[in-house]
Order: sequence, then C-alpha cells, then structure tokens
Amino acid sequence: MNLLLPEFFLLFLTFFILSLDLWRNKSQSALSFHLSWGGLLALFVLLLALPYDQEQVYFGGYTVNGTALLFKQIFVLSALFTVLLSRPYFTPGGNRRGTLKYRSEFYCIILLCTFGMFAVVSAKDLLTVFIGMELATIPLYILSGYQKEDAFSVEASTKYIIMGSLSTGLLLFGYSFLYGCAGSLGFDAIAAVAQSSQDEPLLKLGVLFVFAAIGFKLTLFPFHMWAPDVYDGSPTPVTAFISVSSKSVAIAFLLILVYGPLAPMHGYLQPILLILAAATMTVGNLGALRQLKLRRFMAYSSIAQAGYIIMAMAGTSEAAWSSIIYYLFVYAAANYALFFIISLIGRHGNEEFKSLQGMGKQHPVLAAVLLLTLFSLGGIPPLAGFMGKFLLFAAAAEQGFYAMVVFAALNSTISLYYYLLLAKEAYIIKPFAVKNNLLQTDIVQKVSLMVLTSAMIFFGLLPVFSNAIRATVH
Amino acid sequence: MNGPFLLTLIWVLPFIIALVTIPVHQENHLRIKVISLLGNFVNLILVILLTIQFIGVSNTSSTVQESNVSLFQYGYKVAWFTIMNIEYNIGVDAISVLMMLLTAIVIFCGIIASWEVEKQAKEFFILLNVLVAGVYGVFVSIDLFTLFLFYEIAVLPMYLLIGLWGTGRKEYAAMKLTLMLVAGSAFILAGILGLYFESGLNTFDLNQLSQVRFSDSFQYWAFPLVFLGFGVLGAIFPFHTWSPDGHASAPTAVSMLHAGVLMKLGGYGCLRVGMYLMPEGAHMWMNVFLVLVTINVLYGAFGAIRQTDLKYITAYSSVSHCGLVLFGFTAMTFTGLKGGVLQMISHGLMTALFFCLIGMVYGRTHTRTVSEMGGLMKVMPFLSIAFIIVGLAGLGLPSLSGFVAEANVFVGSFANPALINRVCSVLAVLSIVVTAVYVLRTVNSLVNGPIRKQYNTLIDASPLEKVPVIILLFCLFGMGILPGWIIELVNGAVHPIFNNLMR
Repeated sequence: MNLLLPEFFLLFLTFFILSLDLWRNKSQSALSFHLSWGGLLALFVLLLALPYDQEQVYFGGYTVNGTALLFKQIFVLSALFTVLLSRPYFTPGGNRRGTLKYRSEFYCIILLCTFGMFAVVSAKDLLTVFIGMELATIPLYILSGYQKEDAFSVEASTKYIIMGSLSTGLLLFGYSFLYGCAGSLGFDAIAAVAQSSQDEPLLKLGVLFVFAAIGFKLTLFPFHMWAPDVYDGSPTPVTAFISVSSKSVAIAFLLILVYGPLAPMHGYLQPILLILAAATMTVGNLGALRQLKLRRFMAYSSIAQAGYIIMAMAGTSEAAWSSIIYYLFVYAAANYALFFIISLIGRHGNEEFKSLQGMGKQHPVLAAVLLLTLFSLGGIPPLAGFMGKFLLFAAAAEQGFYAMVVFAALNSTISLYYYLLLAKEAYIIKPFAVKNNLLQTDIVQKVSLMVLTSAMIFFGLLPVFSNAIRATVH
Repeated sequence: MNGPFLLTLIWVLPFIIALVTIPVHQENHLRIKVISLLGNFVNLILVILLTIQFIGVSNTSSTVQESNVSLFQYGYKVAWFTIMNIEYNIGVDAISVLMMLLTAIVIFCGIIASWEVEKQAKEFFILLNVLVAGVYGVFVSIDLFTLFLFYEIAVLPMYLLIGLWGTGRKEYAAMKLTLMLVAGSAFILAGILGLYFESGLNTFDLNQLSQVRFSDSFQYWAFPLVFLGFGVLGAIFPFHTWSPDGHASAPTAVSMLHAGVLMKLGGYGCLRVGMYLMPEGAHMWMNVFLVLVTINVLYGAFGAIRQTDLKYITAYSSVSHCGLVLFGFTAMTFTGLKGGVLQMISHGLMTALFFCLIGMVYGRTHTRTVSEMGGLMKVMPFLSIAFIIVGLAGLGLPSLSGFVAEANVFVGSFANPALINRVCSVLAVLSIVVTAVYVLRTVNSLVNGPIRKQYNTLIDASPLEKVPVIILLFCLFGMGILPGWIIELVNGAVHPIFNNLMR
C-alpha cells in the first residue's frame, strides 16, 4: 500500500471542507464539523492499517516509517479531539467569549496544521522540516486570534506571531551554519559532517541555534515566556491543540535531529539536554504554583512536562523514542481530558480554580474524571502517566544519570502539589454559594471524556501499547 | 486453596469492593458500609486461611531456616510490561504474611470504627478500600516495580481521606503528608532504577537481585536513597514531621490504618529492598541511620510529653515506636532484625487500638484535649479500661505485645558490640521511662479524677463499637502471652535477610 495515502487523504479532506461553504453558502451548518471528525477518524483507522515495519523514501527527501506513522497517529488524534472540543465550545452559549464565525475555515486550518506536522516527521532533509514546521505554526497564529472581538485573543495572537517569527529566524540562522559545514541540508550530509568533524565550533553553534528555535516551540527554558499568555488568550480548543500537537511536533523534530543527523554528537548534546530539561521542569513547576487561572496553569504544567520529555533524550535512541512516543500519547489523553473539563467550566464561569468548587458533590463523575486526569498528569499509578514517567526516567537512568532522575522525581512531587490543589478545589473546599447552573455535558463531550479516561487507565495497565511502540521503534 | 491465587485474590478483593460500591446510590449509607464490612471480613478470613496454610508449609520445609534460597512461598510470575521486563511477580514470606494479617485485622476494625461516617460515605469507603488494596499489593509483590506501584497507590488516597473527612488543619496536614511521602518515593524510584540497570540483569525480580553483589560505589549512594525513601513513611528523623499533623487530622479509620499499617510499609521496604538487596551499603551507612533513629525514639517520646491533644500524643508516640522498628534493623544483629519485625506487628495493633479508642472518646466528649477530660472511668468503664491496657502495652508491660517486641529490639541492639550501638541502646532504653511518663499521665488524667458536669450523660461503647476494641485487645494479649508461633515464623523469614547481611 502506498504509505503516502494518509497525506493525500488529509490534503483532500482539508480543501474539500474549505470549499464546502463556497457552493453550499450555509456557513453555520454542522456539515463541516461532521466531515472533519469523520474524516479524521477514518484517517486514524487508515493509519492503523498501514504497515509499521517498513520504510519508504519518496523523492529522496520524504520518508515514511513506523515511528513517523506513530507520530502521525498522535497528530491525527489530537486534531480529532480539537475538532470535538471546538464544536460544543463554539456553539452559542458554549463559552463566554464569543461564537465561531467561520467554521469550515477553523476546521480546515486545523487540518492544514496537521498536514504540516505530517511533513515534519517524514522529512529527510532540513528544508522539508522547515516547510513542515512553518505550515504547522503559521495557521496557529490565526487560530489563537480566532476570537477577534476578544482582546486577550488578539494579544495572544500578536505575541505568538512575534515569538514564532523570532524562532523561525533563529532556525534559519542555525540552518545557515549547518549548511556551511555540510554543504547540504540533507540529513545524510549533516550526519557525515557531525561524524567527521565533531569539534567544529560552527557546527556546534548552528546546532545551538536550531535548539533555541525548537526551544520556542517546545517551551523550553528560557524560551518559554510566551506560553502562559498565548495559552490564556487563545480559545480553549486552540490552547489544547497548541499544548499537544504543536509540542509533539517540536519534540518529534528534536528526536529526529538528535538521533538522526546529530547522533554522532550525542555525547556533546547530553549535558545540554539535561540542563535544559532540569531548568525547564523547575521553571514550569515553580511557575504553576502561583497560578489561579486554569489555562495559564496548564501552560506551566505543560512546560514542566516538556522538561520530563527532554530528559529522556539523554538516553539511548531506542529508549528515548519509545518512552517519548508512549508519553506523548498519555500526555495528550490527559491534556485533552482536562481541556474538555475546562471548556465545560468556561460555559458559566471564569476558567479559573475557584470555578471548580463544589464539583465533587454536584458532579461526582466529572470530578472523578478530573481526579484521574490530574493523577495521570502527576504520574500516580495505576494511571498511564505513571508508566509514562517511569519509562522517561528509566531512559535517563539507563545512561547513569541517577541524580537527574532524583531531581526530576522531586520535581514531579512539586507538580503533584499543584495538581492536588486542583483536586482540593474540586473536592475539599466548600463553595460560598451553591451554584445553580449545573454543568451540562452533551453527547460529544461525554463520549470524548469516556474515551480519554479509558485511554488513561488502559495505557497504564495493559502492556500492548508500550510493546507495540517498542516493537515499532526497534 | 491454591496459594498464588489466594494471594492475588486478597489484594484484588478490596478493589472489587470499591468497584461494587460505585453503582450504589450515594444516600444508601448502610448498604455501602455493609458491602465494605462483609468484603473485608471475607478478606480477613482469607488472610487467616493464608496464615494457617503458610504455617503448615513452613513447618514442613524446616530446612528453609538454614538456607539462603527460597525466601518466598507461593511464588507465581507472569510477564507484564515486557518493555522493561516488568513482571506480575508475587509471593510471600513470613513477614509479609504477618503484615497482611495485621492489615486485615486493622482494616476490619477500622471499618467498624468508621460506621458513623455520614459525609460522602460512598467516596470514603471507595478510597479506603483502594488504599487497602495498595497495602496488600506491596506485601505480596516480589517485583520491585509492582511493589513501588502499589506503594504509591497506598499513599495517594490518603490525601483525600484526610483532606475531606479529617479534622483541624486537615488541608495542610493532608498536603504535607502526601508531598513528603511522594518525595520519599522519588528517592525510591531512583534506587529501584539503579538496582535494575546496575545489576546487569535488567530485572526487577527481588529473588534474582538478592543474588547480585552490587558494586560498593553503587551501594554507597543507592542504599541511603532507598532507606531514606522508605524511611520517610517509617517516620525517620528528620522526615517524621508529616506524621503528627497527618495522624492528628485524619479520621479515625484512616489514622488506624495509616499509623497501624502504612507506616510499616516504610520499615518493610527498608528491610526488604534496602538491607536485603544492598547489605554492603547497609554496613557503610548503618551508624548514620542508627543515630537518626535513636533521635527518633527519644524525640518522639519527649515530643509526646509536651502534647495535650490525645491524637498528637499518640502520633508522637508512633514516631517513637516506629523509630524502634528501624532501631531494631539498624542493630544489624539477628535478634535486632527480628525485634524490628515484631515491633512492626505490635505497634500496628497497639496504635490502631489507640486511634480507635481516641475516635470513640472524641465522638462523645468532642474534645481531644487531655486536660479537659477526666473521670471517664465512671461513665464509660469499658473504653477506659481498654485505654489503660493499651497504654500499658505502649510502655512495654510483659504479657502484652509491646514487651515481646521491645525486649527483642533492645537485646538485639545491645548485642552488637560496637561502642556506638551500645551507647545508642542505652539512650533508646531510656525512652521507655519517658513513655511511661506520658502514658501514665495521660491515662490518669483521662480516666481518674472528678468528672466534668457535661460528661455525666455520656454512655459507654455500644456493642458494635466494642467489637474492634475486643478484637484488637485479644490480639495484643495473644501476641504478648503466646508469641512463640510468631517468633518462629519471623525467625524463618529473617534468616535469609540476615545471611545476606553477613555475606
């Protein structure tokens, strides 16, 4: 079977949905929504059906292999849940910041983004990566400013554009050094030069610039400053999409780079990665401590999570790939579950900690889902987050970085503090006034939360997922 | 019954109870409580069955005592997460069996003691059962990963149990307790991963790891990590501060379970993972820990003197008595190890009864301040007498369980001829005197003296309330008068550990 089928299918779906309104002239119909989620679901099934044990190279610069397909699964699932999240969010009364004007365009942009991410994980040279990255990022500037009337949304978009452009500039600057050293942007040429002249300062400089550029996308310290504002200002579905998809693609890029062309320099990169990881998780965790708004809080929480993920890249290729992909699935499930709950709260109240009060009594099921999600993010067994973190830590421990493991695990304790703060709001603190407007979940939200919760539980209990990932990576 | 199946059933059953409770309507408190009670009663029977079977097995294979090999009975393993060679690997030795018996008794009594819980009873009993499942899981695990997993499962429900149903500064106490314990498990995690990779075997199997001679440089940093990590739950000084706040704020059943059983997970882990797998590390670090736990023993006792709140007194005495568990271990002698294990059981029973009684007294007087009570003997003789007995057990009166355990601990500790051990033993023995001071003073002002007017109408324990008290008293006396079979069992289990320690 042609391994490019998902790409073609996704492109077709994107433009079909975009052109839908042209001849139907009913911009508020639900057809684009149903087409989007149906199409994405079909795409996911298609991805599952593809063979994971072969590699095919197209046009010399585009390759499809098992790990690329796994990442594509993450992107498709993330897009799917973003679409599902945005439908109830943007219906009238779905949130307090305005309804969605151009629906088909919204879904189309998300799909387009996803296509860009596909390109990144399949790239064989830095140019393809660059185009993919831009395709995955520029639509996000539009999405984060999608609620034009809302000042915060516009602010988020502006900040994102400025920071994103800076990061693109850095990336190109880094590329120029790499190109100067290798004479080509192909991965093979760079690998060869990394092998032969490891101590070339210009090469190292180029790598550092590229790292800085990825650091922006990945919210690594010290390039994380934009995240809280953008997360807080964007519409909730977009925030979820940024926190999962955009982060995953940056991680994929870094993984490809570190274990692909730069693999000979791994010894040089290890301390850099570890320092970045340690600083990032600390900054994220300490920042999250003082937050009162849920989406800002999620920004810091996801900064910290990025730190744990980067830590695994100090490990061997196999351990890093498998543990990080596994963790991304787990992280995506927990993040989306939490964003579903945040969007539910956003219907009637502000999206802040206080609005959770009384949830444990009024909505025991929803509160239980919240608790499981928080425990999964905090890495508490038997939820998937525990196994995920365990594998990440094991990847670092395998290389003997035990001090780092202790540091990360202690950091994880700090993170548990603020996850428990949320649990405390939901369960322990009594609300001042009994709230009359009960949270209503529609069928989309119910099914999504059910799927995400069971994913969090079964990923942690059943070994099939981690085994499949390990087998693919191997 | 098939041994491995029985073991699995014992830890799964509380989970099943929790699952069965979920669909029950939340106002139907009686049904929720009856489900929990019956389920845990069945589990108690199962554990007793297990114990009887186990005694039979260990009698027939008396050679075990001398050999180093088959530490665990009823071994069973099946691959789980093959990605890191993680196995579902279970088995028990005498220590785990006795600890499971203790758990079963304490939780059964704890559920009766929390019969009065009205607020969100459904969630309370679900969390309580999850917690218990975690505790059983730790005791049956041979695979270090599953042990760690169950350990975390046992720690986390505590946050909500204290935070929601506790009293006093409950949110602060709950957070402090949870975070300190989880920080401890961060150390354990690094230690476990170290054992996995440094052994060269890539396995979490305790049996295989115990045959490995780890390098000294590895043990030098890994042993204190693991020992301190588990030690936090065993309230080792200076990481004991969660214990007084946590136990004082927790609801009755949770205090019983936490002080009675959960703190023993700490000692259990120190012994099983720390000292058993890394004996050379234990030798390197033992003096440091010896000093720390001696401080524990004394500090806890002196701390208890200064307190006026009944629960704080008991919590500090727990710090002191749990210190004795580790004190026995750090003696590095056979008798000391044995004493530590016995002290785990004895303290579990004793402190569970203490917290149970305090809960009942508090439910009547609505105060826990000792000076505001008095003359309770007149209105509730049953509770008062039980209080006196458990107090005497606490100060180690012969014929009660405390004597058996503490005698072994102190004898074992003094048997180590090193000067520092001798000095620390003498200091630690002094704690008995201090214990006598606070126990007698507390009991005295509680049951004697003039009674306050508003307490005249109080009634003694109801028949239902008497059940847990009688069960626990029976066990206290049982262990004090007939300790032979327990000591026999513990001997068998301590031998392989001691042999490893002396290799």
